[in-house]
Amino acid sequence: MKRLVSMTVNGEEIELAIPPYRTLLDVLRNEGRLTGTKKGCDVGDCGACTVIMDGSPVNSCLVLGIEAEGATIETIEGQHAGPDLPHLIQEKFMDHGGAQCGFCTPGIIMMTKALLKENPNPTESEVRFAIAGNICRCTGYAKIVDAVLAAAEDLRKGRTL
Amino acid sequence: MTIHQKPHTQDNLEDGKRQFSVVGKSVRRTDTFEKVTGLGKYSGDIELPGLLYGKMKRSDIAHALIKNIDVSKALALKGVKAVLTHRDVPRILHYGSPHPRSASCTRDQYILDDRVRYWGEGVAAVAAESEEIAEEALRLIHVEYEPLPAVFTVADALKPEAPLIHDNGLDKNNVMPPVVIRRGDVEKGFAEADLILENEYVLGRPVPGYMEPNVCACQWDGNGKLTIWSSTQTAFMVRGILAEVLGVPYNKVRVIVDHMGGGFGAKQDLFQHEFLCALLARQTGRPVRMEFTRKETFLGGRTRHSGKIRLKQGFKADGTITARHARIVLDGGAYGSHSPGVTTVGTSALTSLYRCENVDLEGRAIYTNTPIAGAFRGYGVVQTYFALDLQMDEAAERLGIDPAELRLRNAVRTGDLAPSDHPVVGHGLEACIRRGLDEVDWKAARAATAAQPGGVKRRGWGIGCEMHGSSAYPGIKEQGNAIVKMNEDGTVTLLTGTAGLGTGAHTALSQIVAEEIGIPFSAVQVVTGDTDIVPWDIGAFASHTTYMGGRAAQIAAAEVRRQVLEQAAPLLEAAPEKLAIREGIIHVEGANRSISLKEVVSPKRGMPAAQIVGVGTYSPTKSYSFAAHFAEVEVDTETGEVAVLQVVPVHDLGKVIHPIAAAGQIEGGIQQGIGHTLSEDYVIDLTNGRSLNPSFVDYKMPLSMDMPPIRTIILEAAPDPGGPFGAKGVGEDPIIAIGPAITNAIYDAIGIRFRHYPITPEQVLNALRAKQKEAA
Ligand code: FES
Ligand code: FES
Repeated sequence: MKRLVSMTVNGEEIELAIPPYRTLLDVLRNEGRLTGTKKGCDVGDCGACTVIMDGSPVNSCLVLGIEAEGATIETIEGQHAGPDLPHLIQEKFMDHGGAQCGFCTPGIIMMTKALLKENPNPTESEVRFAIAGNICRCTGYAKIVDAVLAAAEDLRKGRTL
Repeated sequence: MTIHQKPHTQDNLEDGKRQFSVVGKSVRRTDTFEKVTGLGKYSGDIELPGLLYGKMKRSDIAHALIKNIDVSKALALKGVKAVLTHRDVPRILHYGSPHPRSASCTRDQYILDDRVRYWGEGVAAVAAESEEIAEEALRLIHVEYEPLPAVFTVADALKPEAPLIHDNGLDKNNVMPPVVIRRGDVEKGFAEADLILENEYVLGRPVPGYMEPNVCACQWDGNGKLTIWSSTQTAFMVRGILAEVLGVPYNKVRVIVDHMGGGFGAKQDLFQHEFLCALLARQTGRPVRMEFTRKETFLGGRTRHSGKIRLKQGFKADGTITARHARIVLDGGAYGSHSPGVTTVGTSALTSLYRCENVDLEGRAIYTNTPIAGAFRGYGVVQTYFALDLQMDEAAERLGIDPAELRLRNAVRTGDLAPSDHPVVGHGLEACIRRGLDEVDWKAARAATAAQPGGVKRRGWGIGCEMHGSSAYPGIKEQGNAIVKMNEDGTVTLLTGTAGLGTGAHTALSQIVAEEIGIPFSAVQVVTGDTDIVPWDIGAFASHTTYMGGRAAQIAAAEVRRQVLEQAAPLLEAAPEKLAIREGIIHVEGANRSISLKEVVSPKRGMPAAQIVGVGTYSPTKSYSFAAHFAEVEVDTETGEVAVLQVVPVHDLGKVIHPIAAAGQIEGGIQQGIGHTLSEDYVIDLTNGRSLNPSFVDYKMPLSMDMPPIRTIILEAAPDPGGPFGAKGVGEDPIIAIGPAITNAIYDAIGIRFRHYPITPEQVLNALRAKQKEAA
């Protein structure tokens, strides 16, 4: 039995017919055809599926699709302005080597965006705390932290999120 | 991050004193925009109309015969399209990881067998209209087992009454004949020693923990050709073994790997689901995707080999090592996979690092009814150098020599025989140790820890060293290939078979091509990951991608450059040898004449001037990279917790192609090594073989808050004549040296020598208590 759910994803209002037991992560990846959001565990342990829902970061594998009725969702695909036009945070991840295999990257970038919205001036330990639930197995986190701090610095210079 | 680039001094390096324009610069990676925007397609992201979802039923017993499997209820479930058991699949014995012509792997697996040998082995597979239906169908499959006696430790597997897990004609549960290496006269060496140390080292069972669970999607076309998108490090190996087991010619299997979410060695193996997915797709006539859950990456994935090492060494009073005797026994798990390779590489590593003329080494791998141990970054060397470098520390103390000094006295040097039986090139290890000693001000740092007053938190500094070969030679004779095509507008297309598991290798290869031809980095496009298009490649492993694939690309690019100059020579009225290409402009050396490359190759009268293609093939022998890691730890004597406060890794890479990517490899390797040493252990219930912690909550990897500052230093001390511009590998090195550095630092902090990993807070506390009792 499918249910009709409408939500705003990356600024666009969409209506999807989804099974009521399907997670928001699976809905985005399957029905929404937005595969940028990754599934590293499906049980809330890794943060790869992080999206911003009504302004807050959530593990989309822990939210049911039907719970997103009426919600505003931001995913990784909605961040850049076009080909070769990365979002500020994306640009810093590229320049600082914050992505290796890249599987954790969409989740960490969305978590970073949520952090910098709240706190545009984080310390290094605040950055590490903010992404404590996002597992990266490739980088040792050093270059991720560099990238986030560099994005924050550019915010202070007047660039926007 | 510090990079010390100095001009190469060896005259056998063709690029003696050249200035670099692209190599050595951290250009923007070719794959990174797609990664940060979520646009990159991983194997699980491929959209296929009519897709079915495959799932595997896994055993809930460690060792048993399958008496019967009833799939009737599953087949009757609405939405289920196919169910496969051992009765429905080809029964062909295959290698877990089919490196061609290699003795690294064992041939002991079936797609599905009528017997299971570990808890979690696949016994059946279903394809259904949705993942949820497929999961429901698994529950409806009823398997009747006849239990067999099982063994979960090497000790039990070696007992006379132990069950035989594979009947391979060898002694009780040996995966392969022992690896035996003898040089010199060990007895004489021990007789000459002033100090003899003998210890046993116990190795835990870490897992790679790549973030992308194993996944593949399969589709057959009307002509009976299979396309498989798979998260694998070895696309051409997957093609070969799939073709052979499924009984189709190689040109009817196409393997595509675009982006890949990590592998760390383990994704060199062929997994059951890759065969089953192809078979389900063939049977249903529809595309099928099979994706592991995170739990399945533990159950059906590959672990590092656990085991035990008994190491005995003799030392003279001046620190000279007179003899080395080692017995290594690794737990191979239920199937051989990479056991022969891991055992060989780990055992032979003990011939080197610290010089010793008299060695007697024996390595074995033993089958047990536990999850399969396979290839994992550091491939046997993590294990054996852990033992070696811990004992060096102990010897230094007993001999009254500074531990770093003892290492310097014994460090492998140019011309010494490396584990691969090749002469070592350069004094890379010595350079790394000396640079690190300066960087951390070792004498002062150790004096400070020695002088610290008693207190709850105690600090210590430790050192660990390693060397690791780029390429798997001589175990496997490898080959890298590249094709470089000049386009009519002066841009270049590089085709490489090298897999991109996230290291930035494709970028490094593009840099090498740009440098070799003399064009900007932006003029190179790289095509990868499609066995129908790119030239054959053995796969991305053994720290050889930049070393081997990069050299092949360099050779192909040099050929393109030669052809371009041949075309340009008459136009510039100069001999080709007098021409040089810089930034895409061809200059006559010493004259004021030039022409753009584009002009030379662009169409004349509607046709290109020439079809310019270069093909590069490279079969390397071996080069060794070196590293010394320095770590500071703080031990909380009340909780037993060990915090790593800082790490200074010093690596000799010969020539660094992309500094940020190289440093990223080092930092990531250190993260995994810290995990291995302090927290990561995949635990098996020794009563029944069940996995006890198959999740990221219970299997504890270091996260952002656990990672210390890392001050990476990269040296170009010993460029290798075999690598592109002198470059050597980096992937595996960092995970090897960090464990000994931390463990030795713990000793410096609290005076307790741990001879195992991981070293958990509970064990630290118990050891502290025991020490107190002893003192009292
Ligand atoms: S996939 Fe949602 S937290 Fe791991
Ligand atoms: S870049 Fe691979 S997991 Fe983070």
